[in-house]
Amino acid sequence: MSPRRTRLPLTVLAAAVGILFAIPLLWVLTNSLRPGAETFGSISPLSWETFLTLTPNVDNYAALAGTSLGRGILNSIIVSVATVAVGLVICAMAAFALAALPFRGRSAVFSVIVLSFLIPFDAIAIPLADVFRTWNLQNTFTGLVLPGLGNGMAVFLLRQFFLAVPEDLAEAARLDGLGWWGIFSRIYAPLARPAMIGAALMLFLFQWQAYVWPLLIGTDSEHILGPVALANMQGQFNVDYGLMFAGAVVLIAVPLLIILTLQRYFIQSVTTSGLK
Amino acid sequence: MTTTIAGRTRKVRRGYGRVALAFLAPAIVVLVLVRLVPAASALYGSLTRSSLLTGQTRFVGWENYAELLGNPDFRGAVGVTVLFTLIINPLQVAIAFALAVLFTRRLAGVRWWRSLVILPIAVPPAVSAVVWNVIYRPDDGLANAVLSVLGLPPQPFLTSPDQALAAVIVLLSWVGVGYWMLFLIAGINDVPGELYEAAALDGAGPWRKFFHITLPMCRRPLAFVLVADTVSNLLVFAPVQMLTGGGPEGATNLLMYDIYTRAYTLGDLGRAQAEVVVLVLLTVVIVAAQFRMLRGDSEGA
Repeated sequence: MSPRRTRLPLTVLAAAVGILFAIPLLWVLTNSLRPGAETFGSISPLSWETFLTLTPNVDNYAALAGTSLGRGILNSIIVSVATVAVGLVICAMAAFALAALPFRGRSAVFSVIVLSFLIPFDAIAIPLADVFRTWNLQNTFTGLVLPGLGNGMAVFLLRQFFLAVPEDLAEAARLDGLGWWGIFSRIYAPLARPAMIGAALMLFLFQWQAYVWPLLIGTDSEHILGPVALANMQGQFNVDYGLMFAGAVVLIAVPLLIILTLQRYFIQSVTTSGLK
Repeated sequence: MTTTIAGRTRKVRRGYGRVALAFLAPAIVVLVLVRLVPAASALYGSLTRSSLLTGQTRFVGWENYAELLGNPDFRGAVGVTVLFTLIINPLQVAIAFALAVLFTRRLAGVRWWRSLVILPIAVPPAVSAVVWNVIYRPDDGLANAVLSVLGLPPQPFLTSPDQALAAVIVLLSWVGVGYWMLFLIAGINDVPGELYEAAALDGAGPWRKFFHITLPMCRRPLAFVLVADTVSNLLVFAPVQMLTGGGPEGATNLLMYDIYTRAYTLGDLGRAQAEVVVLVLLTVVIVAAQFRMLRGDSEGA
């Protein structure tokens, strides 16, 4: 078969698949822009108005302020930003030691650190929640942030980049009297900027997407996170669907905008950590 | 090499060890706090039992594990998890690979269509559960509205023991397929173009090119994706806890949710810890395989 003849059906298929994946998102967005009372009325019978609205308004978004969901989204931002700020330093320091400082047993230490952090956190979240309760860390931001600080993939990715920095550079800097911290923060970290951004993304997404841990450790009204607040809302008897969809859109839009802005780094971090 | 230089190197090397420890210290503290302490606590807890009446904890050895093996809920959860694992992972990897092949061809607007498939990866698990719960509503949900336009009868979805697991698989794949596709697109783009040119000169059609070039050249990324996908699907929790509560009739009672109910609804901590140990061991084995692939690739490059 000639390529020309296969191209049109394949293009149609590609378009159909793309639209199929995007339709639920479009539907969520549209429902967030109309009153909650219209959510189900617009579904049946199915028409273009199910997926689009000619009279969009942002009332649902304005109504988020002051609700538990609004508070949760704000808390999610605080927790995720704190995780990235502290976690990136911790992971980069570890990666620096594992890449730039030769010491005995380094490869064993590397294996232990990355492998332990690769153990999926959710699997041990329940016993950890018991431990954190005895340490009085339940319903604290410290308790919410702590598990996100160490990330095996981030350490792995950063180490790969640090390994590529020529050793002569560190050597020369040392002769000029620069300490190890200076070599790390002024030479290695800036040179590995793409990996730093990729690692920051990993740390951010881990916290933003978390559900099991915040459900176990932070459910009071002051420390509730966005996903838990959203889950609570859908479990209630009378659900304001407009409000719920508006919250869902914010919880999706924040990581989506960050991924789209940093697309290059995101793809790079995904593929380097996975394949190269 | 003179002895002085060798002596100096040795001295410097000892110094590096101390510096390295200082740089590693924060990561090691976090590692101990959030990985090793809970693992040790689960292991210890799995060998003990607390009495609700007296509040005393006693050592019971393997008893929790033995009882777990005989527990019908646990056996049901293992069965559901095995079935789920055997369906969702090959399914997601196959669809992700098929789409990766489709979206790496030169088609009109292909980048645009590809990004539409990738968009859902930004959706947090709890959010996708909420969204699909409304889609799946039996009486007035979006899915049944679509079916009725197609002339098909309405389906019970999450409320049916026969369909609930499949409904959860669809919900998870909406997010998962695009994510794993990213890895496979990178793998396909790494295949040298000369291979295809040579095959075209030999008169190979698209199917032969796929089976003799693309598929074998993507073995490593495919293996990696399969392993990583398996780990993440072993830990599925949000849609089960939020939408089905493990039901109907235990049809979606995956291991993570079984542990959760055992610990918090039943308050049976000893056996819940034993179940955590089983799950962690299972993931450690799979993760070790994943780690070997990562290292194998990086050292080999």
